Amino acid sequence: MIEAQYITLDERLCYVESCGSGPPVVCIHTAGQSGVQWRETLLGLSQAGFRVIVPDLPGHGRSEPAAGGPIRSLSDYADWCIRLFDALELKRPFVMGCSIGGRITLDIATKIGDDLAGIIAMAAKAQSGGYFSVAGLERGREDAASPSRTDRTYYGTIAACGRNVSPERVALIAAMHRREDPEVTTSDLIGWFSHDISASVSSIRCPTYVVVGDDDFWLDLEQVRWTSAQIPNCRTLVLEGIGHYPMEEMEDFPALAATWLQNLSEPATRSAGGQR
Amino acid sequence: MSAAEPPVDMYFEDFHVGQVFRSEPHQVTEDDLMAFAEVSGDHSALHTNAAYAATTQFGQRLVHGPYGLVRFFGSLHDSGIVDKTAIALLDTNWTYHAPVFVEDELSYECTITRCRRTRSGDKGVVNRHVAVRRGDGVIAQSGTTSILVTAREDLAVAADPFGLDFCGRRWATELMRRLNASAEFSASCGSFDGTIGLRARETETHLRIYRGKVIEASPRTPLGATFTVQATELTWLQHVSSKRNEFMERALRDEFSVSGNSYEYLRLTKGLMLIWDAARAMAQETIR
Repeated sequence: MIEAQYITLDERLCYVESCGSGPPVVCIHTAGQSGVQWRETLLGLSQAGFRVIVPDLPGHGRSEPAAGGPIRSLSDYADWCIRLFDALELKRPFVMGCSIGGRITLDIATKIGDDLAGIIAMAAKAQSGGYFSVAGLERGREDAASPSRTDRTYYGTIAACGRNVSPERVALIAAMHRREDPEVTTSDLIGWFSHDISASVSSIRCPTYVVVGDDDFWLDLEQVRWTSAQIPNCRTLVLEGIGHYPMEEMEDFPALAATWLQNLSEPATRSAGGQR
Repeated sequence: MSAAEPPVDMYFEDFHVGQVFRSEPHQVTEDDLMAFAEVSGDHSALHTNAAYAATTQFGQRLVHGPYGLVRFFGSLHDSGIVDKTAIALLDTNWTYHAPVFVEDELSYECTITRCRRTRSGDKGVVNRHVAVRRGDGVIAQSGTTSILVTAREDLAVAADPFGLDFCGRRWATELMRRLNASAEFSASCGSFDGTIGLRARETETHLRIYRGKVIEASPRTPLGATFTVQATELTWLQHVSSKRNEFMERALRDEFSVSGNSYEYLRLTKGLMLIWDAARAMAQETIR
């Protein structure tokens, strides 16, 4: 059974879903989206013997907006997550995130890595930069400057899904992604393009998976490999035919994630292979 | 050069958009470098003085950039396909991406990007995109070059295929017909009163749109385009040939660029995606 709770954090209500019992795994969603991205993981991974905990970041899903307006720093999101772990009294949780969630996961691990059982950072990297300029995104925060936002999210999501995902599944993912607050999404993207932990990523000490789809045009594989090479206890996984949203694109994701979490609990041998 | 079946004496009608010719690798020799310095008169130390070249950022002598270009014509001669049918070279637009050194192996990949018969009917212009690849896989140079070729038959332009004649007159007319048959397209631009410009290299078409209908497709509308989406002919070819409509990625990568009213461009995101779908369907029916 899924448990839902509203927790007061930073004077705002935040929404958290939990399911199952066992080692805790916190799942962090992507830019502008919500915990609903992990709905299959919540059910499947809890059945595999984990306690799955899925928050909606401030301003996303059912969580109230942050008191100071939309958050534009992934590091601030990481600090918020760490306060959430404390509020939930989690002991040595695993943390798994995707896209900004993956980079927030890495950020959290640079700060409290010793207190984590392990992390899975998907569609993530340590370095800043990318296709957009922050100045352009700043303009786009104004609704008047950002027409057909819904269509662009829809087609942009389709573009970011991998070639091995069925068109029907891709269409469903894209339709779900239309449920966003554009100003929050744009602020998240400002966070994506400006976040840089390349100087501190090597301080991550917990067991780590860095996972990326080979159809993910948001990420440069070389940058992802550089990121994982900085982390002492890190496995790298390249998912064939998968794009920017593995937990939504892959029907067998919960089972895979269970395997990865199992592997993180065992002593690591560095691997750079493309095995699934 | 070799195609699937290496043809001899290719006439205008034997070329089609999307055809790819690949050359055998050609190794650049010491003699080539010195001979090119002699012919071009460019005896710069960068090219001819090994001691000086050792002090540059390259650490060795550079092969003259244009050598990579002129060898394309050598590879074309090797293939023999236009030795008797070529009339004239029309243009060359070239970019140098990476250095070439003595002993590098150069391979040429030539893609046909447009075939257009001249009004006289007895010859045609063939546009080509050429990539020059080094032995290590790096594309050292690339560009486009057009050639005037003899036609096998003296025919009217109307007899030639147009499904890949991006932004050409008949291509645009057929695109307009398809768009006007689509209720989805009509709904997507029902609030638009303006003109979408599409441009492949220098060929442009304007789609004049009013209340969800394309009311005219022509090379130029009186007020001009509200916005114009443009790319190279090679990008157009890749875009209509790929498995799925990749416009969002290609636009992010700046393979397509936009001029004019960027607000209306963003507003018509869905309409544009449907235009690409129609252009891609038209192309798929043409691709042999």
